[in-house]
Amino acid sequence: MSFVVNGVEIEDTFAEGFGMWVTRILITAKNRKWASTAAATMTGFATSVIMCDCEAGVEREVPEGETPDGRPGMSVMVFGFSKKALADPLLKRVGQCVLTCPTTAVYNYLPEKESDDMIDAGKSMRFFGDGYQVKMRMGDGWLGRRRFWRIPVMEGEFLIEEKFGAKRAVAGGNFLIMSGTEEASLNASEKAIDAIHRVPNVITPFPGGLCRSGSKVGSKYAFLKASTNTPFCPSIKQSFPESKVPEGVNSVIEVVLNGLDFNSVKAAMGEGVKAAIQVEGVKRITAVNFGGKLGKFQISLKDCLGGA
Amino acid sequence: MKELTIRPKGRERIPVEAEVISPDVLAGKGLDEITNLPVYVGNRKLTLSDYFELEGEIAEKAAEQSIVVEGDVPWVKYIGANMKSGHIMVKGDAGMHVGSQMSGGELVVEGSVSDWAGAEMKGGLLRIKGDAGDLLGAAYRGSKEGMTGGCILVDGSVGSEAGSFMRRGEIVTLNDTGPFTGVHMNGGEIFIFGRASKRLGAEMRGNGGVIVCFGEVESLLPTFVYDTTYKPASMRIYLNTLRDALGIKGAGKFLDVPFARYRGDKAVGGDGEILIAEG
Repeated sequence: MSFVVNGVEIEDTFAEGFGMWVTRILITAKNRKWASTAAATMTGFATSVIMCDCEAGVEREVPEGETPDGRPGMSVMVFGFSKKALADPLLKRVGQCVLTCPTTAVYNYLPEKESDDMIDAGKSMRFFGDGYQVKMRMGDGWLGRRRFWRIPVMEGEFLIEEKFGAKRAVAGGNFLIMSGTEEASLNASEKAIDAIHRVPNVITPFPGGLCRSGSKVGSKYAFLKASTNTPFCPSIKQSFPESKVPEGVNSVIEVVLNGLDFNSVKAAMGEGVKAAIQVEGVKRITAVNFGGKLGKFQISLKDCLGGA
Repeated sequence: MKELTIRPKGRERIPVEAEVISPDVLAGKGLDEITNLPVYVGNRKLTLSDYFELEGEIAEKAAEQSIVVEGDVPWVKYIGANMKSGHIMVKGDAGMHVGSQMSGGELVVEGSVSDWAGAEMKGGLLRIKGDAGDLLGAAYRGSKEGMTGGCILVDGSVGSEAGSFMRRGEIVTLNDTGPFTGVHMNGGEIFIFGRASKRLGAEMRGNGGVIVCFGEVESLLPTFVYDTTYKPASMRIYLNTLRDALGIKGAGKFLDVPFARYRGDKAVGGDGEILIAEG
């Protein structure tokens, strides 16, 4: 079953999302360059939990007027399969990629009242101060209690909030853009990513937000737990017995996104698809699922587009 | 918010202890009951109506009660002592112990206050638009802890021993402070925009107490050691809070100013911090 929007065939199917834990942190620095450098470094090698310790990405750039210290910031979201599987990589990544980056500071960007639990990342990070760290207490009894740790570093001082909000979230939002040419697929994917990043509360953890390999569970090799999504690889569509590549499609790119909640993922998917189908050469949009066997969230393409 | 106006009948020579002037005490009571609430003059127990005229409305809940004290009452002690919520405005000077041990709400004094204002405060906001006497936010004699929360903002100058034995909370003074500010401090923050007098932070202990000086410092004890001059990100958080939450516009101009960092009081093995703005 499919339907047509703007001349593009959209399969009436769903992306299969699954539950993960998320935290959101705000990295600030003296200027945009260093905030961006820290965020990019911290979110490196965090595309998929298939092989990485977490999934992470930059949600958005935060202007200096909106940050606690009035400096430019980057909002970063990190996803893990459990609270512990989130806390460990968060600690390591902040410790190795942000603590080390000149002029940075790190703040909780998921308020406690919106969180399911709190992670003591700053409290653990304080040990890097080797006993010379200073606890900073603020707002007791009048503004709302806040705690930070000031850790001496060679360049000056690293400031990190004591606790970070964590909540159950939705990962695995996706859709595939199928086009006649590589150029059309890439162009449509880039436009989709731009549109997705205008929606709050989502990240796209893959390179530039895009996954050209796709992925499927398992492989013919026993040692490999996942492999490329061969049913959608155009170059083997005649030799692969159950190819899902339609006639006239020569390039497929997957857009993958994770979000704070179901509605954010759904809204972002909708915006992404709407942007992609404006590009000439896009033939078909579909989404990846496992028949509902793996994840508990079904994000329908039709619903994303407002029931088009 | 319901407002009750308390107007002094005259000016007394002997101090009157009136800790009943608090939203937590008055809320939910009838006006007749309130007029008969006890006040103390020396060892005599009298009533609120012996010294004040009362007019206005009483709220059911303390958080919805506003009390306005009309005129100078420097002879009235303990206004707002132990208050937990609501609002008090004193349209003039207030006596000793104003807002002492308060844990919530807002207390504004448009004039000056005497000693022990905000002593052992636990929460809430105490704004003093004039000067404050000695022992602002201090620990009572024999106590191990002074302020443990809340914020005291003084537009004028402050006497000696402000913030003694402070553990948490904030004291902000837009003018000068007297000797021994932050004495025995073991946490919390004191911000001084005027001139800081001598023996600042004497016997400061532990780790986490900060005194920030934006103006001149008369002298530092030799038991405070200089570490470095730098621009800590934490200072930007403090300054933004002072500007945004307390309306101190002048705080913004220190955002990019370096601070000299001193640690002490080494005489007692302390690791408290004094930060002094440069330039």
